[in-house]
Amino acid sequence: MKNLKILLIGQPNVGKSSLLNALVGPRVTVSNYPGTTVEITKAKKKINNTEIEFVDTPGIYSISDRSEEEKVTEKALFEENEDGAITIVDATSLERSFYMILQILEARVPTVLALNFAEDAEKKGIKINCKKLEKLLGVPVVLINPITKTGIDKLVDAILKIKKATRQGFEVEYNDHIEGAINKISSQIKKTFIPKRFIALRVLEGDEDFYKYLKDEKVIRDAKKSLKDHSKVAEDISITRYGTASFIAEKVTQIIPVEKEKKFEEKVDQILLHKTWGPFTTILFLLVVFGALLYLGNSIQGILMGLTESFLSSFGTAEHSIIAMVLIQGLTGLAAGVSIALPYVFLFYLLLGLLEDIGLLSRFIVNAERFLKKIGLPGKSFIPLALGFGCTAPATRATRVLSSKKEQFHTASLFAFVPCSSRIAIIMGVVGFYGGIKLAFSVFVTLLIAGLIWAFGIKKVIHVKSEPLLLELPPFRKPLVKNVLAKSWIRMRDFVYIVMPLLVIGGIAYGILDILGLVNIIVEPLSPITTWLGLPAVIIIPLVFGFLQKDLTGAMLLSVLGSKISLTLTSLQIYTFGVASTIGIPCIIALGILIKEFGVKKAITLTASSIIYGLLFAGLAWRIISIF
Amino acid sequence: MIKEPEVLKIVKEDILEVLGRKSKKIPLKLMKLEISVSQFFVSKAINELEREDLIKLSLEEKYGKQYIQLTKRGQNRAKDIIKKHLILEEYFKKRMSGKKAIKATNILEHYISTEVVDVIKKLSTFKKKGIPLTRFKKEEGLITNINFSIGLFERLISMGIYPGGKIRIINRVPNGVIIKIKNKKFVLDKDIAKEIKVLEYKNPTL
Repeated sequence: MKNLKILLIGQPNVGKSSLLNALVGPRVTVSNYPGTTVEITKAKKKINNTEIEFVDTPGIYSISDRSEEEKVTEKALFEENEDGAITIVDATSLERSFYMILQILEARVPTVLALNFAEDAEKKGIKINCKKLEKLLGVPVVLINPITKTGIDKLVDAILKIKKATRQGFEVEYNDHIEGAINKISSQIKKTFIPKRFIALRVLEGDEDFYKYLKDEKVIRDAKKSLKDHSKVAEDISITRYGTASFIAEKVTQIIPVEKEKKFEEKVDQILLHKTWGPFTTILFLLVVFGALLYLGNSIQGILMGLTESFLSSFGTAEHSIIAMVLIQGLTGLAAGVSIALPYVFLFYLLLGLLEDIGLLSRFIVNAERFLKKIGLPGKSFIPLALGFGCTAPATRATRVLSSKKEQFHTASLFAFVPCSSRIAIIMGVVGFYGGIKLAFSVFVTLLIAGLIWAFGIKKVIHVKSEPLLLELPPFRKPLVKNVLAKSWIRMRDFVYIVMPLLVIGGIAYGILDILGLVNIIVEPLSPITTWLGLPAVIIIPLVFGFLQKDLTGAMLLSVLGSKISLTLTSLQIYTFGVASTIGIPCIIALGILIKEFGVKKAITLTASSIIYGLLFAGLAWRIISIF
Repeated sequence: MIKEPEVLKIVKEDILEVLGRKSKKIPLKLMKLEISVSQFFVSKAINELEREDLIKLSLEEKYGKQYIQLTKRGQNRAKDIIKKHLILEEYFKKRMSGKKAIKATNILEHYISTEVVDVIKKLSTFKKKGIPLTRFKKEEGLITNINFSIGLFERLISMGIYPGGKIRIINRVPNGVIIKIKNKKFVLDKDIAKEIKVLEYKNPTL
């Protein structure tokens, strides 16, 4: 049996995920999505007598090291030891796709060119001569349509032959002074499998990741110095490469004038990106999403709650040994995850995925950027922030799309104010249920105000210079249900594999502390907090243990106060409880992910300060409100 | 790596250009010296040019030498090629030193499509460098210049936003400009848009 490792490379929105689906089949769907994950994903498929491992890379426009996506793809290209690559090309904008292909050919990675959207191109009057392209570039070209599965067999055939494929295709020729510099650097390169010419070019283009291939420190210093002296070199390389790309594109395309296509899409964009209607429609859409979510989530939750409760109560009559009690707490945690968070989080990610695949999300980013910029955040942070309304843990990981650690941390710090599904459950289920919908709404408003104050404050402290907005707005497309489902699952994966087990552990931990009688020990020493919040001392229990397991906050409140909450607490106290329990990094799971992403020190500092801030804010808020 | 038909195309254009500049018939031997590629290509190119009725060969009894000269059609073609060369040279002279510019022109003139030349011609006929996209009020324009350090420059060019490109302004939002270039739509931040210089340009076929 033979093995092949094949990289999938292409621009964002070029149909990479659909192709992987078509190649591997929906059962092993793993993929990555523009704006949400910047990791490579792998999927295996046995064809004939060969096991092909497909390595999916984030969508990029060129081989470079300037964004996180580019860094990941570049690393995959040169450190994965692949046998070859499938480069997916958008037939509606050839010259742009060719820019990267020329780079791949410069790196001498054996490649097969998969031409997608040829039908779209023909509608626009662009006809591509594949034979000619094949000859010109010296690589196989396959027309594909992942949706109808056209050309997939041909593509697989080409992949199986990729080892025999020549490593050399078309080579861009640069001006003499650039060629001279390439030769000079080429002679100073360590032994490696990467072509010297390519390394030299990357060095000339200022890619610092490639300095490591240079012979010694002196060479690196010289290269840096001469780059400073000839700052236009990189620009000239880009221009020549683009010029060559457009030359090739022009050679193989035939433009047939077509009747102007209908301007429907542009009309829609005129509204979606209008300076006042744009933000308005964005908010409207999001409200509809949340409305649908609360409605659908509630009905699904009702069914699941019924099931899990009857399941749990079947244990209730069993003997009350200590182990059983601890286990029941663990199961309660799991049940909370399954019945409260799962339907809500999954539905939310499903709707978000739909918006993304239709092409609406990028329009929302444009509208949101105006406001995000004011609090020092880049437009791209919209997606992790939106994901935060589902579950903080995967949302924290999604901050990786941002280009600097500072931006990532800044965005992550705002998860203290973006209520996740469990916190929304507290606001709707506790505050809304016992204090009325108006009170629940005022908790949301308080979160928003607290978040804005925090964001402005932190903007002063961290001082991030965020990346300017530069985003392609994809054409509106009919979403593929299979892709949307796969994508929601990927975003859910963290929740299922990391959050759910931790919910069980949190429940068990609470069970053990409860049995040991340690729960009540904290009531007395922490009473200053409850005094500050104007709440009964026992309320510290749901507040503190809510950090182990946010979903149990409501249940714990009931167990310490009894079911007549509206009689025990005033509405102002319910409001204060709502605010105090929802501001701050929500739970130990979120803390864990923060540690993984930013290190122990930063994670703990952020968690502790956000919780203290939340408690201070809640105490101040009720005092201010009670004045009136 | 250049394939044979392209070499031939380049050699043919070069022959026409040399003849056009000298504007008289010259000995075939001299021509073979002027064009610095293998004789094989020169002979093949001359054959093709003759077949296309762009040049004619004549034997001058007096000197016993073969001469080569342009036909009427060849003269027109040569004029176009020279014009293209001049335009490119002017364009590159602005960006690099004289010798390098000539070199770049020599390489690029064969590669650059007529559309690109058309665009560059427009660019070089405009004396001014264009105004920042943020201040540009028309609907269609031509990118004359992108003022960026390497990072963003490559990003923009690999996205298909390049000097010489025709752009259409779709919409203006408070934080940037929405443009369309070669069928693709982008949103550019104000900070990026102000470094992209644009001139009014109306393509009748657009």
